Amino acid sequence: MSTHPANESADLLPRLCGADIELGNFIAGVVRAGGTGYEASRALLAEIDGLPVRHDNWWSSSAAASSYKYNNQPGSSASSSAYAYDYQDVGRRFLLSNGGCAYIDLDHVELCLPEVINAFDHVAAWHGMLRNMRAALHRANESRSPNSRIQVLVNNSDGQGNSYGSHLNFMITRRTFDNIFWRKSHYLSFLASFQISNILLTGQGKVGAENGRPAAPYQISQRADFFEILQGPQTTFKRPIVNARDETLCGRCLADDPSAPARLHVIFFDSALAHGSALFRVGPMQLILTLLELGLVNSRLILDDPLDALQSYSHDPSLQASARLINGEQLTLVELQSAFLEEVKRYAAQGVFTGIVPEYEEIIALWEGAVDNFAKRNLMAAARGGIDWVLKLMVIERSMDQHAGLDWDSPEVKVIDHLYSSLDTDGLYWAYESGGFTRQLVTPERIAYFAQNPPPDTRAWTRAMLLRRATPGSVFSVDWDTITFKMRGRYNWPTYRTFNMTNPLEHTQAEAQKIFDSPLDFADLLDALESDSCNTTLTVDALTVRQQQGEEHYALSTTAT
Amino acid sequence: MRFLQRLHNDQVTSGDGDPGADGLLQQLRSEGDSLLAAGDEAIRRALAGSNSEDFLRTSRQQGGQ
Repeated sequence: MSTHPANESADLLPRLCGADIELGNFIAGVVRAGGTGYEASRALLAEIDGLPVRHDNWWSSSAAASSYKYNNQPGSSASSSAYAYDYQDVGRRFLLSNGGCAYIDLDHVELCLPEVINAFDHVAAWHGMLRNMRAALHRANESRSPNSRIQVLVNNSDGQGNSYGSHLNFMITRRTFDNIFWRKSHYLSFLASFQISNILLTGQGKVGAENGRPAAPYQISQRADFFEILQGPQTTFKRPIVNARDETLCGRCLADDPSAPARLHVIFFDSALAHGSALFRVGPMQLILTLLELGLVNSRLILDDPLDALQSYSHDPSLQASARLINGEQLTLVELQSAFLEEVKRYAAQGVFTGIVPEYEEIIALWEGAVDNFAKRNLMAAARGGIDWVLKLMVIERSMDQHAGLDWDSPEVKVIDHLYSSLDTDGLYWAYESGGFTRQLVTPERIAYFAQNPPPDTRAWTRAMLLRRATPGSVFSVDWDTITFKMRGRYNWPTYRTFNMTNPLEHTQAEAQKIFDSPLDFADLLDALESDSCNTTLTVDALTVRQQQGEEHYALSTTAT
Repeated sequence: MRFLQRLHNDQVTSGDGDPGADGLLQQLRSEGDSLLAAGDEAIRRALAGSNSEDFLRTSRQQGGQ
């Protein structure tokens, strides 16, 4: 077991991270009552291949095929084979390319990234998914007239009071989940304060204010206006800063097992385009969650009124606003984020993150550089380092300088705000990326790899490989932890066989490549995968990370069932 | 006053006066400015596109998660 300097005994899990990210989609120039999101999202999803294949009219409200009901019921099914319409989960298909999936949620295309462990892999997988989505957008627009082209925005607000999410999912222990939401209020407050301070690096920036908030020419966070309470399970109304939706990350069959890991559903952050902001959504969260797992919660860093502080900070891009901590201190956004960084650095020096957060030293170094740019008010360096809200601010103010008559209230300025995040080649972010303005934290080759391949070090690898190997019609249902195949049984009667991938850290390429390389028929392949250490119970004990002598990998002690 | 100018003034007020650092900063700003110009054509296209008010009207979304 760990010997970390913790207040609590530590059952440390790698901070596995997934993401489910909604896109803005509409038909530019076409006005319809209720908008054009319905038509745009369906046209886009039709261009994304995946499994299971549905040949019926899956977007029809009378016969939708794919459904995944969010629920909190232990042991209940969440299979995509259920035939019940759910307008928050239409047409879900898992991707053979990278093991992620796509579907429609409330008329938004939603992209789910495959599970990763490394924050830099998250950045590469995200940009790889965007690359695939852009190809789908181009295919969808090929047959459309120039006056009815679909537009996709990688943002979180339409500027008219409607927000859509860019969620992250982190694997944490059940104990820590319970501590945050049910047992230790200072854990919740510590996490909320960190998330709020992290808008400094993760905000995409937005012209104007919404949701009844005071007017603001420009603000740091797209989502800040929409958070109304501190914590809660809901995501579409009265959004909470810390989301308490309790769903299993690692397998429905374990939902009633108190030792099974939990999922922290983070709905707080903006979508990111620049690599820096994309990395800082995940890397610092991995570090802060590790501190929470270890009970290393510094109650000095707790905001007195998190909701008020979020508004004050977000509405002040001049970074002069301060907010009160519970000890009476007043800290600016930069000072609060710096304080969290210093806390992480202090424990990093004690080896707390070794073997838990891959490349944590690089993450901390980049984090420190980014915060330092703000401390020195070097906004050019911040933008070049890949902080979205600063780059967008520079673009907008530059456009005002170059086009007389534009001000913060001009509709043209709001258009620039939107087009910063356009997925298509007219997107302003891409102009600055391709022009070499912003620092790229992952190589184009790494992005290209993740566009077409799953992460090698999680179960996403075997998920993608099984979907590639199976006859498409044989894939009956797919979920994150299971795939059910329709097989031929005795006398050719159909039988259904479910392959379980309960443990997200198993079924990696290192474990399964040799099996896929074998000349086995499909049934034998499943047999081999199941017999090769794949039926293990996922418990905290089973996932306890054992630091190998200087090696940067996770050794799992697994318990065969 | 623009936000960036306000931040710049804040920096000047709180600067440490190190001439080497100032020179480096100036160089960085100059280099960054020329790189920022790479996006000017994209800005021009964005502003020359469809009627902005129409664009915004059609960009209305259903609220999501």
